[in-house]
Amino acid sequence: MVAHIVGLKWLLLRNGLRRSTPQVVGLILGGLYGLAVLGGALSGLIALRFGLPSDVARTTITVGGSAVTFGWVVMPIVAFGADETLDPVRFATMAVPRRELVLGLLLSSLVGVPGVVTAVLGLATVITWSRSVLAVLVAPVGAAVAVLTCVALSRVTSTAFSAMSRNRRSRESAPVLMLLAAVGLWIGGSSIMERLLAPGLLPRIADVLGWTPLGLAWSAPADIVDGAIGSGLLRLTLAVIVLAVALLAWESLLGSALENPRGTSGDAPARHDAGLGSFGWLPATPTGAVAARSLTSWRRDPRYVTSGALMILLPLALLLPALTGSSSIWTLAMAPAAGFMLGWSTHNDIAYDGTAFWGHIATGVSGRADRIGRLAPTAMAASVLLPGYATLGCALTGRWSLWPALLGIGLGFLLCGFGVANVMSALQPYPVPGPGENPFGAPPGSSALTVVVQAVAGVAVFVLNLPLLGIGIGALLGHVWMGWLCLGLAAFFGSAALALGTWWGARIYERRAPELLADLSRIR
Amino acid sequence: MPSRESSAALSLRGLSKAYGRTVAVDRLDLEVPRGSFFGLVGPNGAGKTSTLSMATGLLRPDAGTAHVLGHDVWSDTVYAKRLVGILPDGLRLFDRLTGLQLICYSGLLRGMDRTVVTERAQELLGALGLADAGGILVVDYSAGMTKKISLACALIHAPRLLVLDEPFEAVDPISASTIRQILEGYAASGGTVILSSHVMDLVQRLCDRVAIVAAGQIRAVGTLDEVRAGMTLEERFVHLVGGQTDVGEGLAWLRTSSD
Repeated sequence: MVAHIVGLKWLLLRNGLRRSTPQVVGLILGGLYGLAVLGGALSGLIALRFGLPSDVARTTITVGGSAVTFGWVVMPIVAFGADETLDPVRFATMAVPRRELVLGLLLSSLVGVPGVVTAVLGLATVITWSRSVLAVLVAPVGAAVAVLTCVALSRVTSTAFSAMSRNRRSRESAPVLMLLAAVGLWIGGSSIMERLLAPGLLPRIADVLGWTPLGLAWSAPADIVDGAIGSGLLRLTLAVIVLAVALLAWESLLGSALENPRGTSGDAPARHDAGLGSFGWLPATPTGAVAARSLTSWRRDPRYVTSGALMILLPLALLLPALTGSSSIWTLAMAPAAGFMLGWSTHNDIAYDGTAFWGHIATGVSGRADRIGRLAPTAMAASVLLPGYATLGCALTGRWSLWPALLGIGLGFLLCGFGVANVMSALQPYPVPGPGENPFGAPPGSSALTVVVQAVAGVAVFVLNLPLLGIGIGALLGHVWMGWLCLGLAAFFGSAALALGTWWGARIYERRAPELLADLSRIR
Repeated sequence: MPSRESSAALSLRGLSKAYGRTVAVDRLDLEVPRGSFFGLVGPNGAGKTSTLSMATGLLRPDAGTAHVLGHDVWSDTVYAKRLVGILPDGLRLFDRLTGLQLICYSGLLRGMDRTVVTERAQELLGALGLADAGGILVVDYSAGMTKKISLACALIHAPRLLVLDEPFEAVDPISASTIRQILEGYAASGGTVILSSHVMDLVQRLCDRVAIVAAGQIRAVGTLDEVRAGMTLEERFVHLVGGQTDVGEGLAWLRTSSD
């Protein structure tokens, strides 16, 4: 049975490659990259044996090993939905004895690139530690325990996460939380990295990690090499206990997943929201209805929530140089960047409807109402963000005379973006993740079309705004009147671009609405 | 006003659709008289969904015409769409709206007044047994609830013709009987219903006229008794469409349930 499960994983991997040539090419490139990294790490581990003192080896292997283990723990959350090979729930209908399932799934996790790399690196640490007879005896045990702990902990997270995510609301909020955590890490990361590299700190971190479940097994042989046999054996024992606890935890999680594969119990009560929401206060017209529906989606659909969060957060990244004290000049770009992203963002809006778009065709909504209504959420966000970011940029640089120019360029990008988006989204939708899927996942086989449409839309918006950018640079060089000219022209030409784009997009929409629906059912 | 007085609620002439080399609908003619309760039955892949989609403006035909109460669906689009309510099969809904919001959305998209829409939506929710579910997101609905909310969306503008693709698929018996009662009431008051289904019994009980479709063409059409020709609808269907496999003595090992 165990062999069957491991064989199944191998078969799944091999059949995955049969799908398409680009996938195979991608995998080969990925594999080559992995080999290069592996080669580097291997030679490093061997160098640690022969060229360097043993405390360097202890620090490196403990910190590196803990990082690898941590990677295994969080990988199932980051890549949620991406790899469902051997999802335990799929075994629910087959009568596989639980112990054999545990063992089979555990070993099958080692089949695949991450598993092989970790196992090889684990074995290589035996070379690093081959400084005494006892160390040569203990190191393989430590390595095996360490590698199995990686896999077991990763299985615990994935099973726990898949149990949790059988409830729609927690499943859908996960990527949003992940995004926020990633942004937090990224902002915090740069300053922490600087301090980490300070001398003397890394060994101290290694000391701490060496006594956590992440680093116990990795650091046990180091003690043996240093002659601290008792402490080394203690670590090894603790590491085995950690592994046993992880396995037991996983087994019990697996049991509840298998007994309750669809999560029929424990669902949070569905959300109750009695009123009409934005349908109650926006104009009771087709345009108003489309706007209200878009607003509701931007609030409740994780795909919109994540892209909305990105649109607010990415311009804030321009604050970083100012915060670390290097230069505040980049904050001037915040309003233009926000205008560009907000305007450009609706260029594939129909694709997010999926086949629900039939409702617009069946009710005979005019192209104009469809086009304009969809802009409402981004337009509302822009009305706050553009002046806000422009003011922030001026405040941080102290150059208040640039305010009209910043707002003007942002507005120009926004309105031209709307115009272009209104044409593009009626012309050529490209595949996006379906509602309820991982918002960061890309549907297979979509990349070429996606890149072309995104590039065309982006370049069009940029080119349309070149004159405004020119005038804005004039303002930056000190001609205050050019800032006001920029704002005026942005309002005028932007509105013209929006009107033209809406008119053209509406014409395309009305001519090809049924073809759009056919496209949408094909790409989904 | 209808451009010409026509007795047909739905009239399809020479309707054709091919996907690549696969012909889904092949010069199909069909007249659905006003006030009839019309059942469209056929095996999987017979072209039922394609036909109904072309009849309602969701799928552009390669050739042929579709008229709703005398209005060409593909040229007099706005007027024709006002007369029809659709429940398609296999298409998504804007499921991040609550049930109430979804019904109101379909009404408001048609330019209806907000007070009228809200009143009707509440009534529909009540009639469909969804009064407590009006505030729940449609994505959290069961299959039966989803069909019922789609039906409500199709009814909100009081259409003269209802086109329902598989309205009873994956629907539990209680929801099915609610849907049936509403449809029967609608037909009794002069509305026309055309529905597609696999469930012969249900079609036999509900519909007064039936058409059997196979390979994109109508094989038999008329009143229920005309089409049945003395058999049950199922027997007649299998007889016309053919292709039933005689299981015979195969799968003998399945019958060894002696223990």
